[in-house]
Amino acid sequence: MSRVLDRTGTWIGWAFFADLTNALALTFGYMFSRSVTMQYPDKEKWLPYSRYRGHHFLKRDDEGEIKCVACELCARICPCDCIEVIPYEDEKGNRHPAKFEIDMARCLFCGLCEDACPADAVALGQQYEFSSFSSRDLVIGRDDLLGKPGKATTGGGVVAARLNTEQDVLVETSEPQGYNWWRNIRRT
Amino acid sequence: MELVVALGLIVFKVALLIAILLLLPLPLTWLERKIAGHIQQRMGPMRVGWHGLLQPVADGVKLLTKEDHIPAEADRFLFKLAPILALAPPFVVFAAVPFGESVSVLGTKITLYISNMNVALLFVFAVIGIEVYGVIFGGWAANSKYAVLGSLRTCAQMISYEIPMGFAVIGVVMLAQSMSLLDIVRAQANVWNIVYQPVGFFVFFVAGLAESQRIPFDLAEAEGDLGAGFHTEYSGIRFAFFMVSEYAVMLLTSVLAVILFFGGWNGVLVPLPPLLWFLLKVAFFVYVFIWFRFTFPRYRYDQLMAIGWKVLLPLSMANIIITGVAFL
Repeated sequence: MSRVLDRTGTWIGWAFFADLTNALALTFGYMFSRSVTMQYPDKEKWLPYSRYRGHHFLKRDDEGEIKCVACELCARICPCDCIEVIPYEDEKGNRHPAKFEIDMARCLFCGLCEDACPADAVALGQQYEFSSFSSRDLVIGRDDLLGKPGKATTGGGVVAARLNTEQDVLVETSEPQGYNWWRNIRRT
Repeated sequence: MELVVALGLIVFKVALLIAILLLLPLPLTWLERKIAGHIQQRMGPMRVGWHGLLQPVADGVKLLTKEDHIPAEADRFLFKLAPILALAPPFVVFAAVPFGESVSVLGTKITLYISNMNVALLFVFAVIGIEVYGVIFGGWAANSKYAVLGSLRTCAQMISYEIPMGFAVIGVVMLAQSMSLLDIVRAQANVWNIVYQPVGFFVFFVAGLAESQRIPFDLAEAEGDLGAGFHTEYSGIRFAFFMVSEYAVMLLTSVLAVILFFGGWNGVLVPLPPLLWFLLKVAFFVYVFIWFRFTFPRYRYDQLMAIGWKVLLPLSMANIIITGVAFL
Protein backbone atom coordinates (compact mmCIF):
# COMPACT_ATOMS: atom_id res chain seq x y z
CA MET A 1 0.00 0.00 0.00
CA SER A 2 2.72 2.43 0.93
CA ARG A 3 4.54 1.77 -2.34
CA VAL A 4 1.39 2.66 -4.26
CA LEU A 5 1.10 5.88 -2.31
CA ASP A 6 4.68 6.66 -3.11
CA ARG A 7 4.03 6.38 -6.78
CA THR A 8 0.72 8.26 -6.91
CA GLY A 9 2.13 11.48 -5.62
CA THR A 10 4.74 12.84 -3.33
CA TRP A 11 2.42 14.77 -1.08
CA ILE A 12 -0.07 11.94 -0.58
CA GLY A 13 2.77 9.66 0.35
CA TRP A 14 4.16 12.33 2.61
CA ALA A 15 0.84 12.91 4.34
CA PHE A 16 0.36 9.21 5.10
CA PHE A 17 4.01 8.68 6.11
CA ALA A 18 4.77 6.41 3.18
CA ASP A 19 8.47 6.46 4.03
CA LEU A 20 7.86 5.43 7.61
CA THR A 21 5.46 2.64 6.65
CA ASN A 22 7.97 1.41 4.08
CA ALA A 23 10.60 1.23 6.79
CA LEU A 24 8.25 -0.60 9.14
CA ALA A 25 7.29 -3.08 6.45
CA LEU A 26 10.95 -3.74 5.73
CA THR A 27 11.90 -4.42 9.32
CA PHE A 28 8.76 -6.54 9.76
CA GLY A 29 9.80 -8.62 6.78
CA TYR A 30 13.29 -9.00 8.16
CA MET A 31 11.87 -10.18 11.47
CA PHE A 32 10.53 -13.28 9.78
CA SER A 33 13.57 -13.92 7.62
CA ARG A 34 16.03 -16.56 8.68
CA SER A 35 18.76 -15.61 11.06
CA VAL A 36 22.30 -15.63 9.71
CA THR A 37 23.82 -16.51 13.08
CA MET A 38 26.11 -19.51 13.03
CA GLN A 39 25.84 -21.00 16.51
CA TYR A 40 29.47 -21.88 16.49
CA PRO A 41 30.67 -23.89 19.41
CA ASP A 42 27.31 -25.21 20.61
CA LYS A 43 25.42 -26.38 17.60
CA GLU A 44 27.10 -25.52 14.35
CA LYS A 45 30.52 -25.28 12.86
CA TRP A 46 31.98 -23.81 9.70
CA LEU A 47 33.79 -26.04 7.24
CA PRO A 48 36.43 -24.00 5.48
CA TYR A 49 36.84 -23.84 1.73
CA SER A 50 39.62 -25.82 0.07
CA ARG A 51 41.58 -22.61 -0.48
CA TYR A 52 41.43 -21.82 3.23
CA ARG A 53 44.80 -21.15 4.90
CA GLY A 54 44.68 -22.67 8.35
CA HIS A 55 47.15 -24.71 10.37
CA HIS A 56 50.23 -25.91 8.46
CA PHE A 57 50.77 -29.58 7.69
CA LEU A 58 53.64 -31.56 6.20
CA LYS A 59 53.02 -34.06 3.43
CA ARG A 60 54.41 -37.56 2.89
CA ASP A 61 55.16 -39.08 -0.49
CA ASP A 62 53.78 -42.40 -1.75
CA GLU A 63 56.33 -44.44 0.17
CA GLY A 64 55.41 -42.70 3.38
CA GLU A 65 58.61 -40.75 3.46
CA ILE A 66 58.44 -37.10 4.39
CA LYS A 67 58.38 -34.98 1.24
CA CYS A 68 60.34 -32.11 2.72
CA VAL A 69 63.89 -31.83 1.43
CA ALA A 70 64.90 -29.27 4.06
CA CYS A 71 65.93 -26.67 1.50
CA GLU A 72 64.86 -23.98 3.99
CA LEU A 73 63.22 -21.88 1.28
CA CYS A 74 60.08 -21.63 3.41
CA ALA A 75 62.14 -20.37 6.34
CA ARG A 76 63.77 -17.87 4.01
CA ILE A 77 60.61 -16.47 2.51
CA CYS A 78 58.63 -16.41 5.77
CA PRO A 79 57.91 -12.73 6.47
CA CYS A 80 57.68 -13.23 10.20
CA ASP A 81 60.56 -15.64 10.49
CA CYS A 82 58.57 -18.29 12.28
CA ILE A 83 59.85 -21.45 10.55
CA GLU A 84 63.00 -23.15 11.72
CA VAL A 85 64.41 -26.06 9.69
CA ILE A 86 67.50 -28.13 10.54
CA PRO A 87 68.40 -30.66 7.83
CA TYR A 88 70.02 -34.09 8.06
CA GLU A 89 71.05 -36.69 5.49
CA ASP A 90 69.60 -40.20 5.68
CA GLU A 91 71.28 -43.49 4.67
CA LYS A 92 70.29 -43.09 1.00
CA GLY A 93 71.80 -39.65 0.92
CA ASN A 94 68.50 -37.73 0.79
CA ARG A 95 68.07 -34.47 2.67
CA HIS A 96 65.27 -34.38 5.19
CA PRO A 97 64.42 -32.11 8.09
CA ALA A 98 65.69 -33.22 11.49
CA LYS A 99 63.76 -30.38 12.95
CA PHE A 100 60.89 -28.50 11.34
CA GLU A 101 59.28 -26.10 13.73
CA ILE A 102 56.61 -23.50 13.04
CA ASP A 103 55.76 -20.92 15.67
CA MET A 104 52.02 -20.58 15.12
CA ALA A 105 51.89 -17.62 17.49
CA ARG A 106 53.98 -15.58 15.06
CA CYS A 107 52.67 -16.99 11.80
CA LEU A 108 50.43 -14.64 9.80
CA PHE A 109 49.05 -17.35 7.51
CA CYS A 110 50.18 -15.68 4.30
CA GLY A 111 50.85 -19.02 2.62
CA LEU A 112 54.20 -17.92 1.13
CA CYS A 113 55.89 -21.05 2.51
CA GLU A 114 53.42 -23.15 0.56
CA ASP A 115 54.16 -21.18 -2.63
CA ALA A 116 57.90 -21.30 -2.15
CA CYS A 117 58.16 -25.01 -1.43
CA PRO A 118 59.85 -26.77 -4.39
CA ALA A 119 58.92 -30.25 -3.14
CA ASP A 120 55.23 -29.52 -2.44
CA ALA A 121 55.88 -30.61 1.12
CA VAL A 122 54.37 -27.92 3.33
CA ALA A 123 50.93 -26.42 2.98
CA LEU A 124 48.28 -24.64 5.02
CA GLY A 125 45.38 -26.91 5.81
CA GLN A 126 41.82 -26.66 7.05
CA GLN A 127 42.32 -26.71 10.80
CA TYR A 128 41.50 -23.41 12.50
CA GLU A 129 40.88 -24.37 16.12
CA PHE A 130 44.25 -24.40 17.83
CA SER A 131 44.07 -21.72 20.48
CA SER A 132 46.19 -22.35 23.53
CA PHE A 133 46.77 -20.99 26.99
CA SER A 134 50.51 -20.90 26.48
CA SER A 135 52.32 -19.49 23.46
CA ARG A 136 54.96 -22.17 24.04
CA ASP A 137 52.41 -24.81 23.03
CA LEU A 138 51.97 -23.05 19.72
CA VAL A 139 55.45 -24.02 18.53
CA ILE A 140 54.64 -27.11 16.48
CA GLY A 141 57.30 -29.67 15.64
CA ARG A 142 57.82 -31.90 12.59
CA ASP A 143 55.97 -34.97 13.83
CA ASP A 144 52.91 -33.00 14.89
CA LEU A 145 52.83 -31.21 11.57
CA LEU A 146 52.82 -34.56 9.75
CA GLY A 147 49.66 -35.52 11.59
CA LYS A 148 47.70 -32.32 10.95
CA PRO A 149 44.65 -32.41 8.68
CA GLY A 150 45.19 -31.43 5.08
CA LYS A 151 43.30 -29.18 2.72
CA ALA A 152 39.55 -29.27 2.82
CA THR A 153 38.00 -31.19 -0.04
CA THR A 154 34.36 -30.12 0.16
CA GLY A 155 34.03 -27.23 2.51
CA GLY A 156 32.34 -23.89 2.48
CA GLY A 157 29.36 -24.89 4.56
CA VAL A 158 27.85 -25.09 8.02
CA VAL A 159 27.52 -28.47 9.70
CA ALA A 160 25.93 -29.54 12.93
CA ALA A 161 28.49 -29.78 15.70
CA ARG A 162 28.72 -30.37 19.41
CA LEU A 163 30.93 -28.71 22.00
CA ASN A 164 32.91 -31.22 24.01
CA THR A 165 34.78 -30.00 27.07
CA GLU A 166 35.48 -33.30 28.77
CA GLN A 167 39.21 -33.33 28.15
CA ASP A 168 40.19 -30.54 25.84
CA VAL A 169 37.81 -28.11 24.33
CA LEU A 170 36.70 -29.74 21.11
CA VAL A 171 34.03 -28.92 18.61
CA GLU A 172 33.06 -32.28 17.22
CA THR A 173 31.28 -32.89 14.00
CA SER A 174 30.66 -35.96 11.91
CA GLU A 175 29.05 -34.58 8.82
CA PRO A 176 31.36 -34.19 5.84
CA GLN A 177 29.29 -31.56 4.06
CA GLY A 178 27.14 -28.76 5.37
CA TYR A 179 24.48 -26.46 4.10
CA ASN A 180 25.39 -23.32 2.24
CA TRP A 181 25.38 -20.58 4.82
CA TRP A 182 24.91 -17.85 2.23
CA ARG A 183 21.45 -19.06 1.29
CA ASN A 184 20.09 -17.53 4.51
CA ILE A 185 21.24 -14.05 3.74
CA ARG A 186 18.46 -11.77 2.62
CA ARG A 187 19.69 -9.11 0.26
CA THR A 188 16.91 -6.58 -0.16
CA MET B 1 -16.63 -8.03 58.08
CA GLU B 2 -17.64 -6.42 54.81
CA LEU B 3 -15.06 -3.73 55.38
CA VAL B 4 -12.29 -6.21 56.14
CA VAL B 5 -12.99 -8.17 52.96
CA ALA B 6 -13.07 -5.00 50.89
CA LEU B 7 -9.87 -3.75 52.47
CA GLY B 8 -8.15 -7.10 52.04
CA LEU B 9 -9.21 -7.15 48.42
CA ILE B 10 -7.70 -3.74 47.80
CA VAL B 11 -4.45 -4.70 49.49
CA PHE B 12 -4.35 -7.89 47.46
CA LYS B 13 -4.99 -6.03 44.22
CA VAL B 14 -2.30 -3.45 44.98
CA ALA B 15 0.21 -6.15 45.87
CA LEU B 16 -0.60 -8.12 42.72
CA LEU B 17 -0.28 -5.02 40.55
CA ILE B 18 3.08 -4.10 42.08
CA ALA B 19 4.36 -7.64 41.66
CA ILE B 20 3.24 -7.77 38.04
CA LEU B 21 4.73 -4.37 37.22
CA LEU B 22 8.02 -5.24 38.90
CA LEU B 23 8.30 -8.59 37.15
CA LEU B 24 7.05 -7.49 33.75
CA PRO B 25 10.36 -5.95 32.64
CA LEU B 26 11.83 -9.47 32.70
CA PRO B 27 9.77 -10.87 29.82
CA LEU B 28 9.72 -7.47 28.13
CA THR B 29 13.51 -7.17 27.99
CA TRP B 30 13.70 -10.72 26.67
CA LEU B 31 11.07 -9.90 24.05
CA GLU B 32 12.79 -6.68 23.12
CA ARG B 33 16.15 -8.35 22.65
CA LYS B 34 14.60 -11.21 20.71
CA ILE B 35 12.71 -8.88 18.39
CA ALA B 36 15.81 -6.72 18.00
CA GLY B 37 17.81 -9.79 17.11
CA HIS B 38 15.39 -11.11 14.56
CA ILE B 39 14.88 -7.72 12.93
CA GLN B 40 18.65 -7.56 12.51
CA GLN B 41 18.80 -11.20 11.33
CA ARG B 42 20.43 -12.29 14.57
CA MET B 43 18.99 -14.66 17.12
CA GLY B 44 19.11 -12.55 20.24
CA PRO B 45 19.81 -14.24 23.57
CA MET B 46 20.16 -17.98 23.07
CA ARG B 47 22.41 -19.40 25.74
CA VAL B 48 20.73 -18.94 29.14
CA GLY B 49 17.74 -21.24 29.28
CA TRP B 50 15.58 -22.27 26.34
CA HIS B 51 16.11 -19.64 23.64
CA GLY B 52 17.58 -17.34 26.26
CA LEU B 53 14.39 -17.21 28.33
CA LEU B 54 16.35 -16.96 31.57
CA GLN B 55 18.61 -14.21 30.25
CA PRO B 56 16.63 -11.39 31.96
CA VAL B 57 16.86 -13.27 35.26
CA ALA B 58 20.61 -13.58 34.86
CA ASP B 59 20.82 -9.88 33.98
CA GLY B 60 18.67 -9.03 36.99
CA VAL B 61 20.90 -11.01 39.33
CA LYS B 62 23.91 -9.30 37.81
CA LEU B 63 22.37 -5.85 38.32
CA LEU B 64 21.39 -6.61 41.93
CA THR B 65 24.84 -7.88 42.88
CA LYS B 66 26.76 -5.13 41.13
CA GLU B 67 28.47 -2.35 43.01
CA ASP B 68 26.17 0.58 43.59
CA HIS B 69 28.52 3.37 42.67
CA ILE B 70 27.89 7.02 43.53
CA PRO B 71 30.24 9.51 41.89
CA ALA B 72 32.36 11.50 44.37
CA GLU B 73 31.12 14.91 43.23
CA ALA B 74 27.48 13.85 42.95
CA ASP B 75 24.63 15.40 44.90
CA ARG B 76 24.12 12.31 47.03
CA PHE B 77 20.57 13.06 48.17
CA LEU B 78 19.19 13.82 44.72
CA PHE B 79 21.20 10.97 43.24
CA LYS B 80 19.49 8.52 45.57
CA LEU B 81 16.10 10.18 45.24
CA ALA B 82 15.97 10.22 41.45
CA PRO B 83 15.51 6.49 40.75
CA ILE B 84 12.71 6.29 43.29
CA LEU B 85 11.11 9.38 41.80
CA ALA B 86 11.30 7.75 38.39
CA LEU B 87 10.00 4.41 39.60
CA ALA B 88 7.09 5.36 41.87
CA PRO B 89 4.82 7.44 39.56
CA PRO B 90 4.23 4.75 36.89
CA PHE B 91 3.22 2.39 39.69
CA VAL B 92 0.92 4.97 41.28
CA VAL B 93 -0.71 5.71 37.96
CA PHE B 94 -1.81 2.11 37.52
CA ALA B 95 -4.03 2.54 40.59
CA ALA B 96 -6.36 4.58 38.42
CA VAL B 97 -6.16 2.37 35.34
CA PRO B 98 -8.96 -0.14 34.83
CA PHE B 99 -8.23 -3.52 33.24
CA GLY B 100 -11.84 -4.58 32.81
CA GLU B 101 -15.28 -4.33 34.35
CA SER B 102 -15.52 -6.99 37.02
CA VAL B 103 -15.35 -10.71 37.46
CA SER B 104 -17.11 -12.78 40.10
CA VAL B 105 -14.95 -15.19 42.03
CA LEU B 106 -16.64 -17.44 44.61
CA GLY B 107 -19.76 -15.32 44.56
CA THR B 108 -17.95 -12.07 45.30
CA LYS B 109 -17.78 -9.47 42.59
CA ILE B 110 -14.19 -8.34 42.08
CA THR B 111 -13.63 -5.22 40.07
CA LEU B 112 -10.61 -5.29 37.78
CA TYR B 113 -9.45 -1.87 38.89
CA ILE B 114 -8.22 -0.46 42.15
CA SER B 115 -10.16 2.77 42.10
CA ASN B 116 -12.67 4.31 39.75
CA MET B 117 -11.78 7.98 39.96
CA ASN B 118 -13.99 10.42 38.18
CA VAL B 119 -10.92 12.41 37.17
CA ALA B 120 -8.73 9.39 36.43
CA LEU B 121 -7.37 10.84 33.20
CA LEU B 122 -6.28 14.03 34.93
CA PHE B 123 -4.71 11.97 37.70
CA VAL B 124 -2.80 9.86 35.21
CA PHE B 125 -1.33 12.84 33.42
CA ALA B 126 -0.56 14.67 36.64
CA VAL B 127 1.27 11.77 38.23
CA ILE B 128 3.10 10.56 35.16
CA GLY B 129 4.49 14.07 34.78
CA ILE B 130 6.39 13.53 38.02
CA GLU B 131 8.27 10.61 36.48
CA VAL B 132 10.18 13.07 34.33
CA TYR B 133 11.58 14.71 37.47
CA GLY B 134 13.38 11.48 38.26
CA VAL B 135 15.11 11.68 34.92
CA ILE B 136 15.94 15.35 35.32
CA PHE B 137 17.19 15.01 38.91
CA GLY B 138 19.16 11.89 38.08
CA GLY B 139 21.03 13.60 35.30
CA TRP B 140 21.60 16.74 37.33
CA ALA B 141 22.75 14.98 40.50
CA ALA B 142 25.27 12.75 38.75
CA ASN B 143 27.45 15.79 38.02
CA SER B 144 28.52 14.42 34.68
CA LYS B 145 28.37 16.32 31.44
CA TYR B 146 26.61 13.55 29.54
CA ALA B 147 24.01 13.10 32.24
CA VAL B 148 23.36 16.83 32.47
CA LEU B 149 22.95 17.08 28.71
CA GLY B 150 20.46 14.22 28.85
CA SER B 151 18.56 15.99 31.62
CA LEU B 152 18.51 19.30 29.77
CA ARG B 153 17.10 17.58 26.73
CA THR B 154 14.42 15.94 28.84
CA CYS B 155 13.43 19.32 30.31
CA ALA B 156 12.83 20.81 26.89
CA GLN B 157 11.36 17.63 25.46
CA MET B 158 8.89 17.27 28.32
CA ILE B 159 7.22 20.62 27.64
CA SER B 160 6.97 20.04 23.93
CA TYR B 161 5.21 16.70 24.19
CA GLU B 162 3.20 16.93 27.41
CA ILE B 163 1.09 19.79 26.04
CA PRO B 164 0.07 18.11 22.76
CA MET B 165 -0.51 14.89 24.69
CA GLY B 166 -2.84 16.65 27.10
CA PHE B 167 -4.68 18.30 24.23
CA ALA B 168 -4.93 15.08 22.24
CA VAL B 169 -7.01 13.32 24.87
CA ILE B 170 -9.45 16.21 25.25
CA GLY B 171 -11.27 14.97 22.16
CA VAL B 172 -11.76 11.63 23.86
CA VAL B 173 -13.03 13.29 27.01
CA MET B 174 -15.49 15.32 24.93
CA LEU B 175 -16.83 12.17 23.27
CA ALA B 176 -17.22 10.26 26.53
CA GLN B 177 -18.43 13.28 28.52
CA SER B 178 -16.32 11.98 31.37
CA MET B 179 -12.73 11.89 32.58
CA SER B 180 -13.19 8.51 34.21
CA LEU B 181 -11.28 5.88 32.25
CA LEU B 182 -14.03 3.39 32.99
CA ASP B 183 -16.67 5.66 31.44
CA ILE B 184 -14.40 6.34 28.48
CA VAL B 185 -14.19 2.63 27.74
CA ARG B 186 -17.93 2.17 28.25
CA ALA B 187 -18.59 4.97 25.78
CA GLN B 188 -16.66 2.99 23.15
CA ALA B 189 -18.81 -0.12 23.44
CA ASN B 190 -20.09 0.23 19.86
CA VAL B 191 -17.52 2.30 18.01
CA TRP B 192 -13.94 2.74 19.11
CA ASN B 193 -12.60 6.24 19.47
CA ILE B 194 -9.95 5.65 16.81
CA VAL B 195 -12.74 6.01 14.23
CA TYR B 196 -13.68 9.48 15.45
CA GLN B 197 -10.27 10.57 16.66
CA PRO B 198 -7.56 9.31 14.28
CA VAL B 199 -5.68 12.60 14.54
CA GLY B 200 -6.01 12.58 18.31
CA PHE B 201 -4.60 9.07 18.40
CA PHE B 202 -1.71 10.02 16.13
CA VAL B 203 -0.76 12.96 18.34
CA PHE B 204 -1.20 10.89 21.48
CA PHE B 205 0.92 8.05 20.16
CA VAL B 206 3.78 10.23 18.97
CA ALA B 207 3.73 12.13 22.25
CA GLY B 208 3.56 8.81 24.07
CA LEU B 209 6.70 7.66 22.31
CA ALA B 210 8.40 10.79 23.60
CA GLU B 211 6.89 10.35 27.05
CA SER B 212 8.30 6.85 27.42
CA GLN B 213 11.74 8.03 26.26
CA ARG B 214 12.02 5.54 23.48
CA ILE B 215 13.41 5.70 19.99
CA PRO B 216 12.72 7.73 17.88
CA PHE B 217 12.53 10.23 20.77
CA ASP B 218 14.95 8.83 23.33
CA LEU B 219 17.00 12.00 23.37
CA ALA B 220 17.56 11.81 27.11
CA GLU B 221 19.55 8.61 26.88
CA ALA B 222 20.78 8.80 23.28
CA GLU B 223 23.43 6.07 23.46
CA GLY B 224 25.15 7.34 20.35
CA ASP B 225 25.91 10.86 21.46
CA LEU B 226 25.53 10.96 25.26
CA GLY B 227 27.02 7.73 26.54
CA ALA B 228 23.87 6.59 28.28
CA GLY B 229 22.32 10.01 28.85
CA PHE B 230 20.79 10.75 32.21
CA HIS B 231 21.67 7.37 33.73
CA THR B 232 25.30 7.37 32.62
CA GLU B 233 26.54 7.34 36.21
CA TYR B 234 23.97 4.93 37.57
CA SER B 235 24.79 1.33 38.26
CA GLY B 236 23.40 -1.70 40.02
CA ILE B 237 19.98 -1.54 41.59
CA ARG B 238 19.47 2.18 40.90
CA PHE B 239 19.99 1.59 37.21
CA ALA B 240 17.51 -1.28 37.42
CA PHE B 241 14.99 1.18 38.88
CA PHE B 242 15.30 3.37 35.81
CA MET B 243 14.93 0.34 33.57
CA VAL B 244 11.78 -0.83 35.35
CA SER B 245 10.44 2.71 35.20
CA GLU B 246 11.05 2.92 31.47
CA TYR B 247 9.21 -0.33 30.82
CA ALA B 248 6.37 0.64 33.16
CA VAL B 249 5.89 3.92 31.27
CA MET B 250 6.00 2.08 27.97
CA LEU B 251 3.34 -0.27 29.27
CA LEU B 252 1.31 2.64 30.60
CA THR B 253 1.38 4.42 27.25
CA SER B 254 0.22 1.23 25.55
CA VAL B 255 -2.54 0.73 28.11
CA LEU B 256 -3.68 4.34 27.76
CA ALA B 257 -3.67 4.11 23.97
CA VAL B 258 -5.87 1.03 24.21
CA ILE B 259 -8.22 2.53 26.79
CA LEU B 260 -8.55 5.93 25.18
CA PHE B 261 -8.64 5.04 21.50
CA PHE B 262 -8.95 1.30 20.95
CA GLY B 263 -12.00 0.47 23.00
CA GLY B 264 -10.30 -0.93 26.07
CA TRP B 265 -11.65 -4.42 26.71
CA ASN B 266 -14.43 -4.12 24.12
CA GLY B 267 -13.84 -6.82 21.56
CA VAL B 268 -14.64 -6.81 17.89
CA LEU B 269 -15.83 -9.73 15.75
CA VAL B 270 -14.16 -12.45 17.82
CA PRO B 271 -15.90 -13.05 21.17
CA LEU B 272 -12.95 -13.41 23.52
CA PRO B 273 -12.97 -12.73 27.26
CA PRO B 274 -12.75 -8.95 27.79
CA LEU B 275 -9.52 -9.16 29.79
CA LEU B 276 -7.89 -11.20 27.02
CA TRP B 277 -8.96 -8.64 24.43
CA PHE B 278 -7.44 -5.94 26.57
CA LEU B 279 -4.16 -7.81 27.04
CA LEU B 280 -3.93 -8.62 23.33
CA LYS B 281 -4.35 -4.97 22.37
CA VAL B 282 -1.78 -3.87 24.94
CA ALA B 283 0.63 -6.54 23.73
CA PHE B 284 0.21 -5.27 20.20
CA PHE B 285 1.12 -1.75 21.25
CA VAL B 286 4.09 -2.96 23.24
CA TYR B 287 5.24 -4.78 20.13
CA VAL B 288 4.78 -1.63 18.08
CA PHE B 289 6.96 0.26 20.55
CA ILE B 290 9.73 -2.32 20.19
CA TRP B 291 9.25 -2.52 16.44
CA PHE B 292 9.61 1.27 16.15
CA ARG B 293 12.75 1.19 18.23
CA PHE B 294 14.54 -1.04 15.78
CA THR B 295 13.20 0.62 12.66
CA PHE B 296 13.67 4.33 13.09
CA PRO B 297 16.73 6.40 13.84
CA ARG B 298 16.66 8.97 16.60
CA TYR B 299 15.21 12.35 15.77
CA ARG B 300 17.50 15.28 16.22
CA TYR B 301 16.91 17.51 19.22
CA ASP B 302 15.60 20.50 17.23
CA GLN B 303 13.50 18.19 15.06
CA LEU B 304 11.68 16.91 18.13
CA MET B 305 11.00 20.51 19.18
CA ALA B 306 9.72 21.30 15.69
CA ILE B 307 7.47 18.24 15.66
CA GLY B 308 6.14 19.01 19.12
CA TRP B 309 5.38 22.69 18.60
CA LYS B 310 4.76 23.03 14.87
CA VAL B 311 2.97 19.78 14.08
CA LEU B 312 1.56 18.06 17.14
CA LEU B 313 0.30 21.15 18.95
CA PRO B 314 -1.64 22.65 15.99
CA LEU B 315 -2.94 19.21 15.08
CA SER B 316 -4.23 18.56 18.58
CA MET B 317 -5.81 22.04 18.73
CA ALA B 318 -7.49 21.50 15.38
CA ASN B 319 -8.67 18.14 16.63
CA ILE B 320 -10.34 19.74 19.63
CA ILE B 321 -12.01 22.40 17.50
CA ILE B 322 -13.28 19.93 14.91
CA THR B 323 -14.54 17.56 17.58
CA GLY B 324 -16.30 20.45 19.27
CA VAL B 325 -17.92 21.63 16.05
CA ALA B 326 -19.03 18.13 15.14
CA PHE B 327 -20.35 17.65 18.65
CA LEU B 328 -22.47 20.76 18.48
